[in-house]
This record gives sequence, C-alpha cells and structure tokens, in this order.
Amino acid sequence: MDRVIATAVGIIAAVGVSAIVFIGANKVFDLAPRRWSLFSSLIGGASSLLVFGLLWGNRLIEEPVAVTAAALVVGVAAGYALSRTSDRTVHLVIGVTSGVILGGLLGFFFNSEYLPAIEPLGLVVSIGVGFALGAALWASRGRRASIVRSLLLWGSMGWLFGAWLLPTLGEGSRIESIVAGVVLGAGVGAWVGTFPLPDHKMKESISSGSRKFIFLIPALGFVLMTLVIPLIRTFWLGFLTGTPTHLTWAGFSNYVSIVTDPGIIDFSDWTDMFTSRLMIAGVLVLLIGFAVARVSGKRLGQTFGLTGGSLSAIAAGVILVGFAVFAAVRGTISNNLWWIFAVTIFSTGMGLAIAVLSDRSKGESVAKSMIFMPMAISFVGASIIWRFMYIARPPQKTQTGVMNAVWIKLGEWSNSPTATAVILGILALVLVGILFIAWRGRRAHMPAITAGAVVAALPIVWLIYRFLGPGLGGFQVIEATGQTIGQPILFLQEAPFNNFWMMVVLIWIQTGFAMVILSAAIKAVPTELIEASRIDGASESQVFWRITIPQVSPTIGVVVTTLVVTVLKVFDIPKVMTNGNFGTQVLANEMWQRAFTELNFGLGSAIAIVLFLGVLPIMWMNIRRMQKERAAH
Amino acid sequence: MATTDRHLATGPEPAALGSRVRGFLGAIPTWVLWFFVIIWTVPTLGLFINSFRTRDAQRNFGWWMFWQDGAHGYGGLTLQNYRDVLGSEATGGLANGLLNSAAIAIVATIIPIAIAAFAAYAFAWIDFKGRDWLFIATVALLAVPSQVALIPLLQMYAGGAHLTIPLIAKTVTVFPDLDLAGTIPAVWLTHTGFALPFAIFLLHNYMSGLPGDIFESARIDGADHFTIFWRLVVPLSIPVLAAFTIFQFLWTWNDYLIALTMIGGNREALPATVVVASLAGEFGLREHLLTAGAFVITVVPMAVFFSLQRFFVRGITAGSVKG
Repeated sequence: MDRVIATAVGIIAAVGVSAIVFIGANKVFDLAPRRWSLFSSLIGGASSLLVFGLLWGNRLIEEPVAVTAAALVVGVAAGYALSRTSDRTVHLVIGVTSGVILGGLLGFFFNSEYLPAIEPLGLVVSIGVGFALGAALWASRGRRASIVRSLLLWGSMGWLFGAWLLPTLGEGSRIESIVAGVVLGAGVGAWVGTFPLPDHKMKESISSGSRKFIFLIPALGFVLMTLVIPLIRTFWLGFLTGTPTHLTWAGFSNYVSIVTDPGIIDFSDWTDMFTSRLMIAGVLVLLIGFAVARVSGKRLGQTFGLTGGSLSAIAAGVILVGFAVFAAVRGTISNNLWWIFAVTIFSTGMGLAIAVLSDRSKGESVAKSMIFMPMAISFVGASIIWRFMYIARPPQKTQTGVMNAVWIKLGEWSNSPTATAVILGILALVLVGILFIAWRGRRAHMPAITAGAVVAALPIVWLIYRFLGPGLGGFQVIEATGQTIGQPILFLQEAPFNNFWMMVVLIWIQTGFAMVILSAAIKAVPTELIEASRIDGASESQVFWRITIPQVSPTIGVVVTTLVVTVLKVFDIPKVMTNGNFGTQVLANEMWQRAFTELNFGLGSAIAIVLFLGVLPIMWMNIRRMQKERAAH
Repeated sequence: MATTDRHLATGPEPAALGSRVRGFLGAIPTWVLWFFVIIWTVPTLGLFINSFRTRDAQRNFGWWMFWQDGAHGYGGLTLQNYRDVLGSEATGGLANGLLNSAAIAIVATIIPIAIAAFAAYAFAWIDFKGRDWLFIATVALLAVPSQVALIPLLQMYAGGAHLTIPLIAKTVTVFPDLDLAGTIPAVWLTHTGFALPFAIFLLHNYMSGLPGDIFESARIDGADHFTIFWRLVVPLSIPVLAAFTIFQFLWTWNDYLIALTMIGGNREALPATVVVASLAGEFGLREHLLTAGAFVITVVPMAVFFSLQRFFVRGITAGSVKG
C-alpha cells in the first residue's frame, strides 16, 4: 500500500511541477505589456536564480542557500528598479551596481578549493578575442545596433573565459576571484543597464515573441537530452574501448571487430544456396512469372506485361530465392536482413490481401479487429504465446503445441493408407479445379489467369508427390522394429529456419498494422474511378491491379518504411524466445548483450551506430517526403 | 447449401450448374478471410485456455483437449496459476510488476502528450524563422532506433552528464547525478523523449488542419497564444489527443527494452513485461505459470484496445495515410 501511495505522490508531483513551470512561464510573459515592473522584477530574479542555481549545482559556491537567496533578492530589486525609471544614466548606474554586487557575491563565496589563478596574458588575449568577436558580429548585423553594447557583452564574455575558464582552478587567491567576479558583473551589468528603453510595442513583442520558446523548449529540450546528444555521444563511444569507468581511444577497432567477427556475417556455406530446394523452386516460379509477363507483354506491345498473375508469380519466386539465400548465408547481419525481408513482405502482402478480402464483406469489422488484436499485445506476450504454439515434446509423448500436433498428425496420415487415399482424392479434385481455371484462362486469352493457376497448382503437385512418395509430416520409422513414431520439429532450435519461426511472431503482430492502414487507403480510393472502369468493362482483378494498387501505392510505401524501421530494431522477440542462441542473433540483441551484459560500451555503441546507419536511408526518404508535403502547402 | 439454392432460384435466371459454381467461387474470399481470422486467433485462444489448466494437464495434453483434463486425472480448470503468478515473489511476484507498469505507463503517457501538444501548436500556428526546418529535423528523429541512445542515457542516469570543455580541460555538470539508474523516473524521462517525434508529428498533422479563422478572430479579441491553445486548440484536438494517449499507453505498458535497460537489476521497480520475460527465461518449474503471466500482461492492453479501438485505428492511420 505504501508503494501505491508513494507512486501516486510521485506521479502527481512530476505532472504538477511540469504544469506549474509551463503555465507559470506563460503567465509571466503575459505580464510584459501591462505590468512591466512585475515582469521585469520576475525576469531579474529568474536570471540570477538560474546562474547561481547552476553554480550551486556544480558545487562552486560556499553557503549556497544564503548566497543564492541574496542573488535572488538583488536580481528582483534590479529588475524592479530598472522598470521604474526611464533615465538612461540611472539605468546604467542600477545595472552596474547590481552587477558588481552579484559579481562580488560570486567572487567572495566562490568555493575556496577552486579559486582561479589569473594569467594576465591569457586574460588580455581572450578579452581581445571577445572584442573582435563583438565588433565582427556588430558589423555582420548591418551595424544597426550600438557597437558599445556589443563590445561590452563580448568583452565580458572574453573576461569570463579568460578569468574563470582559462586559469587553473584551485591555485588562485580570494582577491583574484573577487576581481574576476566584480569585473564580470560590472561588464554584464553595464550591458543590461544600456538596454534600449522599452516602449509599448516592444513590450508586446517581448510577450508574443517569447511564446515560441515557451511552447517549444520543453519538447526540444527532451529531444536533445534523450535523442540528439546521446546519439552524438554513442557515435563517440563507438571509438572507445575498455570498462565503463575507464574508456580509452581505440580508433576503428570496434568496427573492425564487427566486420571481421564470423558471427556477424558468415559466408562459409554460401554455395549451399544453389543446391537448396527453395532455390530450385524459386527459380522455377520466377521463370514462369517472367514467361507469363513476356506473353502478356506481347499483347500490350511491351517487353514485360506486369499483370496480377505474373506479379504474384514473380513475388513468390523472389520470396523463395530470398529464403534460399538467407538460409545459406548465416550471421547476425544476415539474420537482420532476413527479418526485414520476410516480415516486410509477408505483413504488407497479407495485410493488403486481408484488407481487400474484408472490404465490404460480411462481418468486416469483427474480422478486422480480430486480426488487428495482436497489435495490442506486447512483444513479450506475443513471444510467450508463440512459444506455446511451438512447444516440442519428446517423440514418445503427446505433443502439446499446435504446430507440432499438426505436424505429427500429418505424419500419421501419410502412414495410414485410408487417410492418404482421402487426402490424395481431395488434392486431385483441387488440382482438377485449378487446371480447369487455367484452361478457361487459356481459352479466354488471359495468360495472367493461366499463370496464377499454374503457380497455385505447383504446391498441390508437391503435396501429391509427398503423399504418394516419401510422406509428409513428422514421423520416423525405427529400422529395428519397423515401428513408426512421431518426430516433432524443434521449431526454435533447428537452424536456420528457427529464424523464420520467430519472424512469424512479428508477422502475426504487424499484419494487422498493415491491414488497417491499407484498408483505410483502399476505402479512400474515389468510387467514381472504380465505377468508371467497371462501366468500361474492367474485370474485378483488372480493377484491383490497375486502379486500386496504383492509388494505394504511396500508402504501401509508408507501410513498408514503417515496417523496415520496426523490424530493423527487433529485440524483444529474439531475446525472450532464444536470447540469440541457435543461430538467431540479431543486431539489437547483440548490442544489448555487448553493452549491458558484458559492459563493453565501446562495442555496444559501435553496433548501435550500425543500426543507425541502417535507418539513415529511410530517414532521408522521410525528410524528402515531408519537404515535398510542406512545399505543397 | 439449401438456402443458397433457394436464393439462386429466386434470381432472374434459373439456377444452373454454372451459376452454382460461380456462387461457390464467389464465396471463396469470405472463406479465406475467416480462415485468416481463425489462424490469427488460435495462438491467443490457446494461451488463454492453457492459463486455466494445471501444470500436469498443460504438460500432457494439448489445450484443445482441455475438457478431458479431469477425466485423465490431471485436475480440472483452475485459477491457481493466476493466484501463484500474482502472489509472492517466490512464485511469481507479478502483482508488484503490474503496479510498476501502471506507474510507468500513466506518467509516460501524460508528460509526452502535454509537451508534444505545446510543440505541435507552436509548429502549426506560431510563425517564426526556421520553423519548417526545425519541424522536419524533429520529426525525422522518429526513425532513430532507441538503441543508439541507451548507453549514454544510462550513464547519465547513473552518474549525471558532464561536459569537459576542450582545450581548457574544465568539466561542467550539465545534468546532475540524481542516482536515477534503476528507478521508474529514469524510464519516464526516456519514454518521454523517445515518444516526442512521433507525438509531435501526429498532433501537428491534426492541429495544422484546424480552421485558422477562429484563432485569428480570437487573437483580434485579445486572446494570447496560451489562451488560444488552452481554450480552443486543446478542446478541438480531443480526438487526436485520445488517439495518441491510447497509442502511447499501449507502447509504454508493452515496453520491454527501455525498462529492462534503465531499471535492470532493481527487482522492486521492474514492470510486468520484464517480470514475465524473466519467468520465461528460466525454462523450468514455473513454465506453467507463464501462460497466466502472459495473459495478465495482455489483459490491460486488450481491454484498452477493444474499448477504444476506434481512436487507436484513427491514430495509426492518421500518421500514414495522406489526406
């Protein structure tokens, strides 16, 4: 119960403080036009509070509570006094006096362990540089403002650098710190005291001009703190090596070890890809696809006619060939590319298919929300759900996972003559149906339909071959006894396809995402366009391939880029399901293990940078797209 | 089949074999759709059923045979798995994890939504130099993988951030050492920063489409930006704010990587996802509790999802479909 209360108090405090700061800032700047004195006092107080608060935080002042409180009072008083008079001389006096007091406070109470030892030469040089900068800036701004103020400000900055930052801290005396403080205070105070006197218009513009900062600073501050600066630092850390407390420069050695590590990319068995069944099937399907494209292209007077049938055949071929390549070339980077390849293609493809199938069909919303539901489940939850699907029990025991139960059942069927006969009968019927469609397509001079049918017939033929010949499913015949026992698949342990079984989890999650977005895009296709093409005699599949697909292709692009970014950094699923064992390592998990298990921050950072380089092209594409959109407005 | 026949018979043409075949083929898309639906539902259904079965039952029979558990002597359906996994640290300790998940998700949803709403308003309705450039730079960061920020952020939470000025070798503390590593506030800060690019993008898309005339006339009546933001823009943006709230709540509730990295070994503060994942990591005695654990962490997002699906869908489509 205590924890609940503590948590609730923490939440309320965090939210409350943020709200007060934001609303407070807005209210303060609301005051500028009408209640200038109050505004000026508050700004004076806030500025000195900020400076002394920073010094306090860095443990640079003694008696921090009293000194900061005094500085606050001086700041408020100076702000108030400045607002009550419009005499320029009085302004200058107030500015210098309060600056000297604040500088004196700084010098007098500066932490005695860090007193600066001023070197005259360095001081003179840095003041000179400050003056030069001030003059240059003044000139570059069209010489409109006062040169004295520019020199005052930049001279003071030069003094700050020369008297406080340049010297060795801790070797000076109290006198030096007081001089360093008072002169700095006097310079900045004079700059504040010579501000142009604000008229009503200027007060208004201070009030309204500040809003962009108030509205943007929280967001930009967070983005800088948690993304931009860490990104730069990670880049830097990638060149270091050693333990977290003792990092030393190592040049490119982290990157070299990434590239040379055989676990990252391993070509040793790459020739296997040419003999794999996947490659043979893939090439076959690709050839069919290109042949059909050639035939339908001839009719349209093009080299290749990319119709529905040929495109699906080519896509199927590309998937098969891709799987053959990724199964032969192993290693972390190859795994990552395989993840991107498989998840992007399957999720987009199935998402599109389901979006089209469900469009205006009965029970559309129920079907869509069931398929979309995995999006709400955490990757951890999804990994556990699928681990239970993939459970493999010893061959003698009953399988409790769905996948292996189905697999063993198939094995039993292909060993039972009755079941085999029934299945072969069904398969033969389906094959006849498909061939009938192919024949109809041939007669109607629609090579696309013929091609689609032929490609669809290939797996049926393969199934018939398996059931007639070697059998399908998990079983093993024990030679000695002639007995047949079930042989389950160790889905998560058998490399390389355990990778694919883990990708299935992400495909299961992301298909819903692709479906929802593509479904919205399909519904946004103007109905007049579709009506018109129907009146012109277009068939359903022509409408789909020639109207719907081109109309939703920008959205498909968005889905693909979003998926690539998501998949590239996949971490939770491999971490929970195999923790990168059995040849399933991916970059994000590799990075996590190097950085947080082995505490090798250098190598971890280098791997993170490799991930970042992977998303750079997509960032670039996004930027270009946004620029175009902004330009269009 | 009988109803199909009658339906076809009442059609303008008498039911011939051809039209019956066509009707059969025409129904294929619907069949395929529901086939997909079944495949998509089975894994979750299996987990749900298994979570009510005893350890012996889970280990000896598939969940699709659950009604025979009692007959086989493995015990009938039970809530014991839930009691164990939510109970003491020794058996599961998930109750504490759920509390931490709620603490993380609620704050890590409220803070970014407020901050992003301010920024989105500024990018949409306050004119200043370099606005487009700054907007694109901020939103482009949404593709950056969080991995690139984890190590420096953890260093910052553990020991503060210090900047050593080159040449003069002076170190300035930019972020104080608040000893945040291993605490929930570290996760809040991280989630807030990572969520902002997408949040700003989403809210800006919506806010820039609001009618500008109302703001103009409000400005003439003397309203300042804060009043316009608070009285006009926020009420008008409720749909997109709701969409982002749901999105961010699901994201932070379901997060594993950031909590695991930033909280790490501090068991007291770990959210439910990390607790369940570590239960999954031990591959042993408590595997039967995993079903209940996974279901518990799934119930909250599912409830949010099914009750507020409309907003959620609107949120993710608004981010990607043009127009």
